[in-house]
Formats: sequence, structure tokens, C-alpha cells
Amino acid sequence: MTLVDRTDALATLLLQAEVERFFSAEAELLDERRFDQWLDLLHEDIRYWMPIARNASFDRPELEYTREKSEASWFDEGKDTLRKRVAQLQSGDHWAEEPRSRTTHLVANVRIATTDGADITAKSRFVVCAYRLEHDLDLFIGKRVDVLRREHNALKVLRRAIYLDQSVLLSRNLTTFF
Amino acid sequence: MNFSDLIDVEAGTLSREAFSSEEIYRRELERVFMPAWNFVGHTSQLARAGDFFQSRCGTESVIVTRGEGSAIQVLLNSCRHRGMPVCRYDTGNTSGFVCSYHGWSYGLDGALTGVPKFKERYQGRLDRPRWGLIRARVAVFYGSIWATFDDAAPPLEDYLGADMQFYLRSLLQGPDGADDGYEVIGGIVKWQVPCNWKFGAENFAGDHYHGYSHISVERLSVGLSGKTSRHNFAAVKTPRQAMSVADPKRGHTIRASVYQALGAYDPQEGAPDAVNDYYRACHEERQRRLGDKARLMIHGGVIFPNTHFNSAGRTTIGLWLPLSAARTEIWRWLFVPKNAPAIVKDTLREYYLRYAGPGGMVEQDDMENWTAAQRGTQSLVARKYPFNYQLAMGLARRSRPDEWLGNEVTITEDVAEHNQRAFYAHWARLIAAP
Repeated sequence: MTLVDRTDALATLLLQAEVERFFSAEAELLDERRFDQWLDLLHEDIRYWMPIARNASFDRPELEYTREKSEASWFDEGKDTLRKRVAQLQSGDHWAEEPRSRTTHLVANVRIATTDGADITAKSRFVVCAYRLEHDLDLFIGKRVDVLRREHNALKVLRRAIYLDQSVLLSRNLTTFF
Repeated sequence: MNFSDLIDVEAGTLSREAFSSEEIYRRELERVFMPAWNFVGHTSQLARAGDFFQSRCGTESVIVTRGEGSAIQVLLNSCRHRGMPVCRYDTGNTSGFVCSYHGWSYGLDGALTGVPKFKERYQGRLDRPRWGLIRARVAVFYGSIWATFDDAAPPLEDYLGADMQFYLRSLLQGPDGADDGYEVIGGIVKWQVPCNWKFGAENFAGDHYHGYSHISVERLSVGLSGKTSRHNFAAVKTPRQAMSVADPKRGHTIRASVYQALGAYDPQEGAPDAVNDYYRACHEERQRRLGDKARLMIHGGVIFPNTHFNSAGRTTIGLWLPLSAARTEIWRWLFVPKNAPAIVKDTLREYYLRYAGPGGMVEQDDMENWTAAQRGTQSLVARKYPFNYQLAMGLARRSRPDEWLGNEVTITEDVAEHNQRAFYAHWARLIAAP
């Protein structure tokens, strides 16, 4: 291995570690309900999108997820709406989260797919457990594709696509972030 | 169980058993859902020949198809040989359906088109026309598709009655007042809530009273523009009278307002100019088309028993699909005006997604409350005490002075449980019938 190869390999490892650390810290902010700090990790131009999964035939794979910015989705929004969701969560009379659910966000299988200038595309898997009141458990499992943008030497989420494996949502609400 | 004791119409009370009893749930399927006409979808979902989507007719799985020409069929999604669903895709385009078990195949009209070993082992004697997919009766009403498996049901027009035809037609008019003015946004939103289906139905039927549920979202601006409160009509300055409208004979209910006068368009503050320009032009066109009747604004309602809708600038139609006494699947179709520019459709879609469904900042609190109410119907002691539906009892009147509001409906102005009483009185008649 040449010195140049070793330098590239080291840079790749450092980037991998940085992105994983970023996702872990983000999950911690959500689980500790530090939502204002979580918002700070999102780019002002973020697109936060969770399509609805459909059962599609093998020759129509494009039908499997509803399309961004034209079809129905679970979420398809920018930072303005996310700020409102945070404000609602912090209000104390948003009954769907009062008392608040206990959540655990796990992000795994993080893989840097591409890097393009300041933008890093990372693919990952998530497991989100939300326990609520005495007996309620909501379990959300799926895949994420994030575009992280480096600005002033900090990463921000510029785009988040969240592919939930469920088709019919088996939970009454989506009051957590992914 | 004595089914005639569930409701006390004079007292305005209803037994909690109506929400928790599995026996009543099974009786509902037979007596409330089977005889009903059900919304199953919209013609805009079937733009091309061969298009299909899965839906539900009552609790039956059905395929809604468009064959050659424009014939729309609603087919029971169950192979006549062994009952398999012959369609396991939510939507698509096809020339027919093949059962994955033994390979019986059916056309878009449900006809049995292929049977393996038809000649050799059925000796060509299988009476194929008799063994097609079961077809529901279908009716198309201003773009909306309705179905029933009950041969004894009256035609859809009679099931709705003249008054609900007027309100449903109005719901389906675009913002410019043109008939059949909407198209469905791709993707039906589907989710499950651990509560009886009637908690959703009575809420949509006429609950003007539950503002407290939504106090958290009232402080935020989740309206069309994202800059104003959740209801677009909050921008309208002309005084209006909110009212509950019910057809007591059929159980259908409407939440609506009537404006005192035809007014000018009041812009949605903060919305892009193109959006306000579109709605202003529509507002004026609607007044030209409908005249005095343009004073009507539908907020929402329920076509008995389980087709529900919201309106007032936020047109969605949905189904409460009971899975058991204590669990309901909800399906929701989101609509945008067909002729609107893309920016209007985008603005509306974002409004729907932050308002309605499991991700909706308004409806999340409804679902939480219905789930909690369900718990109040389960235990032995709690079940003994009926629910109270006495809000604004005794104030109902006929539709005058605006006779176009209907001849058969009764109306209570302002906040009332008028519609819930009408809904449950009709429900209880069907449940108690011998």
C-alpha cells in the first residue's frame, strides 16, 4: 500500500467515524428530548421526507414508495414545519405526547454512499422504539438516506429520506422524529 | 344482550357497550355495513384502461378496476376456487388477475378467463360465466365511486337522499364550484388506531365541541399558508353560522357553515401570490355559478356509516374500517383541484400532511383521545355508565329560512351533538331491528 492509499483509507475511516458520531449524537438529542439542539443539526433548507410504502408488482418497483413532492407521504416538509412540530412537542398540551413517550433511536449499518464536495450521502438502517403510557409500544424499522452538508466545519442534515418498512402504519401516530 | 336498550334517544345517552362489545361489532358488520353504500375511491385513480387499485367495501377486500372503454368494476378480491386474494398489489395497471394458488385467471370485469386443465380435467364442463369474481353494485357520483354487495340496497341516489346528494355534490365541486372538480393525490394513507370505529365516525359527523383537543396546534400556524391558524375559513371576515345538519332517516351528517352574505375573497395571509390568485378567481367563479348557494361552506361529515370527509379548503375522504370492537383501520384519500396550478397542489399537499393522519399535528391529538376513550368502555364498572350526548338537545329545527339546505334534514346551529344523536339513533335502529 502506498502512502497515498493509506492517506485515503484513513480519511475514509475518519469520515465514517464522524458520520456515525453525528448520527449517535443526534439520536441522543431526540431521546433526551433536546429538540431545540436537534433542530440546530438540520440545514435551513432541509427536506424531510418519509414516503408511504405500497405493495407493488416486481415489474413496477417505482410504485413501491409514494413520490416526493407530488404524492401522499407520512412526512414531506421543510424546517419551518419541523420547528412547529418541536414547538407542539414542547407545549405540554399536545395530548398525543402528554405525558411524553419514551423513545430510543438506534441508527445502524451506516455506510457512506458518495461524497460530493461539501455533501456526504450516507445510507443507514433505523430502529425506533416508542413506549407510551402504561402499555403502548410503537416500533418503527426502516432505511434512511441522508445528505449531510458540511458548513463552517459542522455537518448539517440537508436531506433525509426515511423509508419505513410498514405499508399500513400499525401505530396511531407518528409523533417522533426519525 | 338486549339490543334495544343500548340507546335512550329521549335522554340522549348511549351505552358504552356499543364501543366494546364484540357481539355488537359482529352485528354491526351484518346490519350496518352490509346494507350500506361505501365510498371505494375516485375516478381520477383510474385514468387509463387497465388501471386498478385495492380498496375496501365495508370490511370486504375489493379491487376497483377500469376495463376497456371506461367501465368501472368493483370486484370481491377472492378467488372463486379457494378464496385467495387474486390481487395483492395496492395499485397498478394490468390486463387481468391471476390467482397465485391454482392459477385461475380473471379479466378486469371479473370474468373467469382461464382455468388450468379446463379441457382435460374439468372436461370443458365448468360453467365459467358462473364462476367469475363477485361483482359489487357500482355507482359513480360526480367522480366518487361507490359500491355495495347488498342486492336489496336502494340505488345510491335513494341511499343518500336528495339532501345528502346536494351536500356530497357540493363537497366534490372544485373551489370554482364546477362539478367533479377534484383529483386524488397518489397514495392512500392507511393506519390503525386501537379504538372503536364509531369514535372516528361521531367526531367527523358533528363534533364542533372538541376544540380543547387541539389547543396545542391552535397556537401554531398550520393553515394553508403555514402562516395562519389551522382553518382557512378563519381568514374570512363575513359572519357565518356554524351548524350541524343531519338526515335523521338515513343517518348521514354534515358539519357546515352558512355565510350571512356573499363576500369578497379574503386572502390566506402569507400564502404565495399565485395561490391567492387561484383561490380568488375560484371564489368569484363559484359565486357566479352557484349564486346564493355559494354561501354554503361544508366543513365535513359522514355518509352513513363509515365514509367520512373533511372540507373547508381541505378536501379529504376516508373510511373507518372496523377490525374488531376495539381496533380500526383508517384509509384516507387526499384531493386537490384538478385544474389548479402545481404551486396550489403543492401547498395543499403540505397542508394535508401537517394537518391530517398519523403525522398530522391536528389529528394526532384526536387519535390519542379516541384511544383513551376506548379504554373507558372496557371495564365492568365503567361499562355500566352510558355516554352523554345531551349537548344542545332540543334545539333542532328544519332547514328554513334557507330552503336549499334541504327538506328532510334537521339542523342545530352552533356547537351541538345534534349529528351524533342522529347518527346513533339510526345506528341503534339497525342494530335493534329483529
